[in-house]
Amino acid sequence: MSDRRLPRLLQTPAVVLLLIWMIVPLSMTLFFSFIRYVLNSLRRPEWTEPSLSNWRGFGNYNYVLNNNDFLLAVQNSLLIVCSIVLLTVILGVLIAVLINKAFPGRSIVRVLLISPFFVMPAVNAVLWINMILDPVLGLQGLAVEGLNGTLQNLRAAPGIGWFFSLWPELQPISFRATQTSAYAVIIMVTWQWTPFAVLIFMTSLQSEDQQQKEAAVLDGAGVWSQFRFLTLPHLSRPIAIVVMIQAIFHLSLYAEIEIVSRGNGNKNLPYLIGEFANNNIGAASATGIFAVILANIIAIFLLRMIGKTLME
Amino acid sequence: MGIVSETSTFTKILRPVLAWSVGILFFFPIFWMVLTSFKTDADAVKPEFLFFFTPTLENYLNMTENYDYWRFAQNSVITSVFATAGALAVAIPCAYAMAFNPSRATKDVLMWMLSTKMLPAAAVLYPMTFLTKSLGLFDTHFMVIIVLMLINLPIVVWMLFTYFKEIPREIIEAGQMDGVTTWGEIREILIPLAWGGIASTALLCFIFCWNEAYWTVRLTTTDAATLSKLIEGNRAPEGLFFGRLSAVSAAAVGPIVVLGWFCQKQLVQGLTFGAVK
Repeated sequence: MSDRRLPRLLQTPAVVLLLIWMIVPLSMTLFFSFIRYVLNSLRRPEWTEPSLSNWRGFGNYNYVLNNNDFLLAVQNSLLIVCSIVLLTVILGVLIAVLINKAFPGRSIVRVLLISPFFVMPAVNAVLWINMILDPVLGLQGLAVEGLNGTLQNLRAAPGIGWFFSLWPELQPISFRATQTSAYAVIIMVTWQWTPFAVLIFMTSLQSEDQQQKEAAVLDGAGVWSQFRFLTLPHLSRPIAIVVMIQAIFHLSLYAEIEIVSRGNGNKNLPYLIGEFANNNIGAASATGIFAVILANIIAIFLLRMIGKTLME
Repeated sequence: MGIVSETSTFTKILRPVLAWSVGILFFFPIFWMVLTSFKTDADAVKPEFLFFFTPTLENYLNMTENYDYWRFAQNSVITSVFATAGALAVAIPCAYAMAFNPSRATKDVLMWMLSTKMLPAAAVLYPMTFLTKSLGLFDTHFMVIIVLMLINLPIVVWMLFTYFKEIPREIIEAGQMDGVTTWGEIREILIPLAWGGIASTALLCFIFCWNEAYWTVRLTTTDAATLSKLIEGNRAPEGLFFGRLSAVSAAAVGPIVVLGWFCQKQLVQGLTFGAVK
């Protein structure tokens, strides 16, 4: 037994480091969430020091819950996460099934498809919001301008001009506005994470039982029922994992939101925490605790699923 | 017969056409960024030069002058390399112990490690700022390296653990019979055997470090600022500098996208923690 003690001790550095990393900042957040703590206050300078005498109980939580921005941020977080997850799973399944069979240039298509996933989030956001979605100077603006120009020319054409004058001029959409900035974030993150879903589903499809499929074909099963009754059930576990991993990642989206709108009408929880943290640390910490609770609810399901396959 | 010929038309023509269109569509934004990087700032916003223009290298040549690119790139390289090395140094012994000398708690420890990864970064934003500032570590390479190392440590341990588990235990035990010490076992038997797995884990960890955009932005100002911070600080809302912005963005993501092509398989394992095979 003694010869096993050293090997087991080798886990300690990793465990201790992660333990400190998890416990120290989190318990500070927990403590700050129960006291009055602001960075600047002329009226109450005693609140600028984190101390037990500024105890506020659940006051910060109350303040946050009654803050309009908090409800909006939760709504926005959920809107963004749910839309992205839904879009990436649907697109991911379709594309994975499409490229699962051999065709000329398959490996090149795979490389093209996976590339967006490795683009750093800051570049992703800058690229989409400026060069593609900008209503005047981006690709969208340029394309709308070009199409409207063509429309003008067609209207002047003899004979068929009347038909084109019935068409409306195209209007570019501004994605920096309050209502639309969330869509910009959804578009760019979906672009980045669909490749991830495709990759996972494709890996899983490789292990699909081909004999079962051939038997189904012999029994006269069509393409749709093969997909519905064989492929989709086979993918149910990978789909669940993709949903949960993405939920955890996208609940903490930050760079994209910062770059697209600086939180203008489009805050999510991490962004709101960042805003509170400019002065009201108590409120930032209480919001942080809410974010931890939200992430934990999802994480518990994910860990259960992963735990099942762990020791086989 | 009808069904058979339909299927073969689909396989022969429609599937490749559709698949290629999807691939090109997804790659297009990256292609567009690279294309724009060869346009002058003035040409980049003119519809008549969408696809046909006189290419120029000036955006790349002026990258240092316009953005101080190399200083940020250097910081990205330093922090990512050392964070990856640090994570491996801690994770290899840990994964070794878990794979070859598991105890009843091993599974729980692994799950717990994963759960630390799920802690939302924003929740500990202020404590981290507070701690780094009061320790005098704000905006230092050291702090960025430590943070990058810790946020990737769970994934690195997991990936190594799944690779090490594949190695037959007899090989390791044969070493024990010959009286090799634990360190010798790791250095002379385990690392050479699992070299491929360790390399791809390192590659993936490096990519994650390079792309990290929360802590590298919030815990730095200038000295240790990485490429994420550079791009985040130059969002150019007026679009006057699309050419040069594209060039610096392409230079920031280019190497990583190419590295990424080589570790698609490992990505699946690393991000799903071995749950999808």
